[in-house]
Amino acid sequence: MAELEPQPPTLQINIQLDPAGTQVVILSGELDSSNAESLQEQVASIPPQPTRRLIFDLTDLRFMDSAGIAVLISAAANAGSVSLRNPSPIIRRVLEATGLSSVFPIEP
Amino acid sequence: MSSRAVTARATDPRYDAGSERAAAEGEASLARPERSLSRWRPSWVAVAALLTGLIVTGALALTSAAVYNRNERRLLNLRVRELSLVLAATAPSIQTPLASAAELADATAGNAQKFRAFMAPYVGPGRQFSSVSLWPLGTSQLAPSTVLGSAPVLASMPERAEQFFTHSTRPGVLNLTSFLGSPHPALGFDFSVPGRADGFAVYAENPLPANRRSTLEKNSAFSDLNYALYLGRSHRTSDVLVTSLKRLPIKGRQALDIVPFGTGVLTIVVSPNGSLGGAFFEHLPWIIAFVGLLVSLAAALMTDRLVSRRQRAEQLAGVLDRVAAENREMYTEQRSIAQTLQHALLPERLPEFDGLDVGARYVPAASGIDVGGDWYDVVAAGDGQVLVMIGDVSGHGLRAATTMASLRHAALAYAAQDSDPASVLGQLSDFVNSAPHDYFATMLCALVDVGAHRLTVASAGHIPPLLIDGADGQFVEFDANVPIGVARKSPYLQSTVSVRPNTTLIAFTDGLVERRGEVLDIGLARLQEAATNMVLPLEDLLIKLANRLASEDHHDDTAIVGIRWQS
Repeated sequence: MAELEPQPPTLQINIQLDPAGTQVVILSGELDSSNAESLQEQVASIPPQPTRRLIFDLTDLRFMDSAGIAVLISAAANAGSVSLRNPSPIIRRVLEATGLSSVFPIEP
Repeated sequence: MSSRAVTARATDPRYDAGSERAAAEGEASLARPERSLSRWRPSWVAVAALLTGLIVTGALALTSAAVYNRNERRLLNLRVRELSLVLAATAPSIQTPLASAAELADATAGNAQKFRAFMAPYVGPGRQFSSVSLWPLGTSQLAPSTVLGSAPVLASMPERAEQFFTHSTRPGVLNLTSFLGSPHPALGFDFSVPGRADGFAVYAENPLPANRRSTLEKNSAFSDLNYALYLGRSHRTSDVLVTSLKRLPIKGRQALDIVPFGTGVLTIVVSPNGSLGGAFFEHLPWIIAFVGLLVSLAAALMTDRLVSRRQRAEQLAGVLDRVAAENREMYTEQRSIAQTLQHALLPERLPEFDGLDVGARYVPAASGIDVGGDWYDVVAAGDGQVLVMIGDVSGHGLRAATTMASLRHAALAYAAQDSDPASVLGQLSDFVNSAPHDYFATMLCALVDVGAHRLTVASAGHIPPLLIDGADGQFVEFDANVPIGVARKSPYLQSTVSVRPNTTLIAFTDGLVERRGEVLDIGLARLQEAATNMVLPLEDLLIKLANRLASEDHHDDTAIVGIRWQS
């Protein structure tokens, strides 16, 4: 059985409202097609904000595949703008290669 | 993505119910034999444990019994010695008054009055003798001259008296005679002073109980024994003087001793009246047997339970293995359905072009049931040009595959109108963005001018292709445009590069180079190295790259397209 079922990568999702009134989605673990759908649902459930902004904190996110990027893209389409906080070099490089660096500004 | 597929199955309620039912059935069939005792069959290990326990118990009990018996025998031998010493010690107490009376009779010439006065304290009920008589010897008619107490039996049997005093007795010692067969059984003692043929014999008699039974007093030192006292070296029932038993001979464990008594001997036989060493030691073998039996049974039951539990676990493991195997089968089947679909959506065969080698490979992920949304096309674009398109829809599964199919056909349609790469991407992007959607796709369009050795490339977020010129490999550099399906603010840009003869272009999807936990550039460098370290025919190069990928545990489907200028 064990060889058949590798443990699914874990993703912790934590959504907070920062003092400036912006919703911050804090992700840690690995974001891929096994859990992108649940992230998509949680992001969609965030009520529309007057700031029309969403921040994804990627400090503790080790991996993100195309399904994860699709969540960011759809969040940007719905919320107005999406910025990323502290993406790892691996993720930064993927965004750059897919021409998405300009779509998702990186927050200091 | 393999993880996702398997996780989905594991949480599928139908799947779970099925496996649980299978497990429950397995358990039920295992539990059944225990439910009815008539069908219960102990395992041979449990039987072996029981037998071992019983053997050990038996050995312990027998050893204990043997030790007990030896001790009892030893104790009984000690007891019979003690008893015979006590018996032997009574001889002097009988002899002394008789001897004194004999001396007195000799000294007083058989004075009856003096004899009576001397012996009176010894005679009577509850005293030492029941009858004492004085017999003058050396006369023709032997008869007692003086009698104290009851008349001696011997006096009523003149011949016996004659025989006894003339031939059997020895002077100076205690002589014994008995009337065991007579209606009045009695035991007689005689003493006469030595050296005088015409002297006197003092004869005492005690009747024996009619049935010879005399029980010892409860508080006697020998109350733990049954005994039988016989006259002479005999233990025939006819020779018994007195016994504590109703029935002779003594049965069971017994000990015997010969006691010298006057001129004769007595034989004493004893048997224990209970246990000499104590009741606990008598019962110890039984206690051991009983406790041992219980322990053996408990051990056997426990062993049986452990064995059946293990068997159950093994069978359950078997059930689980079967479920896993079925699972694997279903999974393989499902994957092959998806792959069939995927292949149906991809070009069956690439067209052939003058002056250009073309080839493609599609490598499914090493694991997982979901197919990817990767596609490619190589089509003629007029004027000796060839349009290479490769793309990758985000996500996996049927939805990605069908999205891929619609994008692919739309792209082919746009390319048929205008094969300019930036135009194809722009129109495709507008088409996707015209409706709500939750996916995006990266795509690369490369317009190859075979004769002019020129390449025009536009990318919608797609990884750049590799250009190989001999042993030199470079990734094509171009402006990064956003993927198809992402709102864009500016038109797609394209770049044109001139290539040298025999240049090879390798376009691919990210599965070829992307690895978890690794920055993209490492994968790109690895590809660059693998593609250029040996000059191979295009087909062989594609096989090499596909095989290299297949040997890794890659988790994403991958498409590879290659073209090579023949000159």
